[in-house]
Amino acid sequence: MTSTDLNTYVTFGYLAGWVVYLIAFMAASKDSSILKLAFRLLVLIWVAHTVAIGFRWVESYQMGIGHAPLSNLYESLIFFGWTIGLALIAARLRFGTDLVVLLGLPLVFLTMGSTFLLDHTIKPLIPALQSNWLVAHVITCFLGYAGFAVSFVAAVMLLVARGSDYLGERLPRAQILDEIVYRSVLVGFPLLTVGIITGAAWADSAWGAYWSWDPKETWSLITWLVYSAFLHARLARGWAGRRSALLSVLGFVAVLFTYFGVNYLPGLHSYF
Amino acid sequence: MAGSQTSETVATDQRSILSEIASFFTSVKTTITLLFLLASASIVGTLVPQDTSLDQLRQTASPFMYRIMIILDLPTVFRSWWFILLLILLSINLLACLIRRLSAIPAEWKGDSEKASFRFVISDPRPGSELKGVFTSALNRLLGAPSAVSGSEEEAGLVWVKHRVHLLGFPFIHAGILVILLGGLVGLFYGFRGNIQIEEGGVGKEFVLSPSGEVRPLPFQIAVDKFTLTRYATGQPKEFRSDVRLIRDDKEVLKGSILVNAPLTFEGISLYQSDYRLLGIKEVSLIFVGQGGQQSDLKVRPRETTVIPGTSYKVRLHSVDPGTTKKGQGAEIVVERPGEEQQIVGVFRNEPARLGDSEIRFVDYTPLYATGLQVARDPGAIVVWVGCGFLILGFFLTLFTNHRSLTIAMQTRAGSTQIRVYGRSRRLRREFREAVEKRIRTSLSKKEK
Repeated sequence: MTSTDLNTYVTFGYLAGWVVYLIAFMAASKDSSILKLAFRLLVLIWVAHTVAIGFRWVESYQMGIGHAPLSNLYESLIFFGWTIGLALIAARLRFGTDLVVLLGLPLVFLTMGSTFLLDHTIKPLIPALQSNWLVAHVITCFLGYAGFAVSFVAAVMLLVARGSDYLGERLPRAQILDEIVYRSVLVGFPLLTVGIITGAAWADSAWGAYWSWDPKETWSLITWLVYSAFLHARLARGWAGRRSALLSVLGFVAVLFTYFGVNYLPGLHSYF
Repeated sequence: MAGSQTSETVATDQRSILSEIASFFTSVKTTITLLFLLASASIVGTLVPQDTSLDQLRQTASPFMYRIMIILDLPTVFRSWWFILLLILLSINLLACLIRRLSAIPAEWKGDSEKASFRFVISDPRPGSELKGVFTSALNRLLGAPSAVSGSEEEAGLVWVKHRVHLLGFPFIHAGILVILLGGLVGLFYGFRGNIQIEEGGVGKEFVLSPSGEVRPLPFQIAVDKFTLTRYATGQPKEFRSDVRLIRDDKEVLKGSILVNAPLTFEGISLYQSDYRLLGIKEVSLIFVGQGGQQSDLKVRPRETTVIPGTSYKVRLHSVDPGTTKKGQGAEIVVERPGEEQQIVGVFRNEPARLGDSEIRFVDYTPLYATGLQVARDPGAIVVWVGCGFLILGFFLTLFTNHRSLTIAMQTRAGSTQIRVYGRSRRLRREFREAVEKRIRTSLSKKEK
């Protein structure tokens, strides 16, 4: 069995775990043991996911081209799924809201599932990627993104609850959702900051320019500016509830654009 | 007298304009607006390809769009006057807020401000002097030893203050950003970046400045003694390095290697291994097998005539086949001998050439590379890293320390002590209040049993 196989099993594991969670949610009452079981199952799958990542790391060394599994789109998506899983588990432990897990798991499944279309071979690192900054930069950026993802899930729930009385009664209290929206950004933002700084340090050692305003760097800054506005609006202007949830959603759109969107930006000869 | 200005009204107007400006720059609303404006400007800077020439723009954009792009400097958003203006406004905003916060810190450090997150009052029959010990041990695990213990039998007090350093979190974060912007400015004015391409074995004397394209001389010469490219089994580049000597006034001042992610620095100027170019062939390695079976190496270089050792054959390189046919890689060489016509002989890996009773075998060809180096000097970089350090320190203080203070004032009158508890916590106020109240009430009820 290769690490790629294990990743596939883990992906379907998340899907299965999500179905179990859904059933537990619909069938059982609050605080039931089924929900606790569903959560423990999720943690187990996440541990298997961790093993899969470590396994791929080992495999690369066995091939003689050893490096951390963070070097291409396939590996970064697997890692992103892992960080979102970690963030969901942390949110569940800190705030007790199973619904955030329920609605956040599809994000994990989608992220992992999208890797099925990608080239999954372990490739050696080209010279530009042979740097210790790579590991620090990728890990901190994705942990930051995961925090923002959890904030996004809670923000969407908060906005939906405000829009519909039926759903509003069944979703967690707006106050708790609001806390999650805020606290997860409070975790994600410093991580993104360190992510941008380590990226700049890497660029400096590779090209002699810690900042070149290229689309990827600029979009990470845009994301940083939006979440900075979020924190200022929250802490200094008292924005909460709907307004801060909207900013969280806007921020996550920026995250998605930074991760995927930059690849589709117009090239040299197409304008507007 | 409506409409006439006296010296008083003029002074009031001036003051209100100044205070308007001051309140504009110390306002967080300004900050949020500027953050969004900068974000939007940056988005434009990624949608419009940057640093394209005016000619290319004129050809590809509609006349209307072209005019807009020129007026707003869209192909150079990040150097445009309005983007820089936004950054200046943000810097003033940062500085104003920083000064305002810094001026309030000394008082908060000393604990002068009276604001309490919570307060409650209890009474107990025991005297203050005894209660002091009760509370000290009850709160020891939560807050450690008290910072101040005071009083007599009638008036006793305990004060705890933790993590005052939390107050420095905001200043470090925001000063950090200012320092980073300052470092960027220093780099913009006193730094430069460019690139240079040097053939292996050659010497580079000037480089091309980015983004202007202007050619500038280097303060030293770069002699590329060797360029090495190693590949993985898959064919992808594994490592490429330039072994160079830096020469100034005909003297070698530095010798070293430049690899990707491992630059070479001399007197503030750094050289980065950026890329490489294939210029041609450096040499072709052949083996000449003579009549008696003895083998000798034969190296042929472009535009050079080589004599095959022990013979009167002279060979020149004609072309190299990188492996287009079943014959494999190989070379075509021009062979001549005095008195004979020239002939072009093909020597391939899978098909050696016969030359009379001798044989020539193909071994390999070595490409001639030019190394691509980035030349950069950024005196502002160190300032930026210091700013980043401030930023990280500021985040650490803000997130992992919590400025809390607790004051217990006890007044003993007529056999009963009134205990006044005041608490302050910068973060996690509810948790702090609950923890303090629980410990105090538990410690009081324990003794009473």
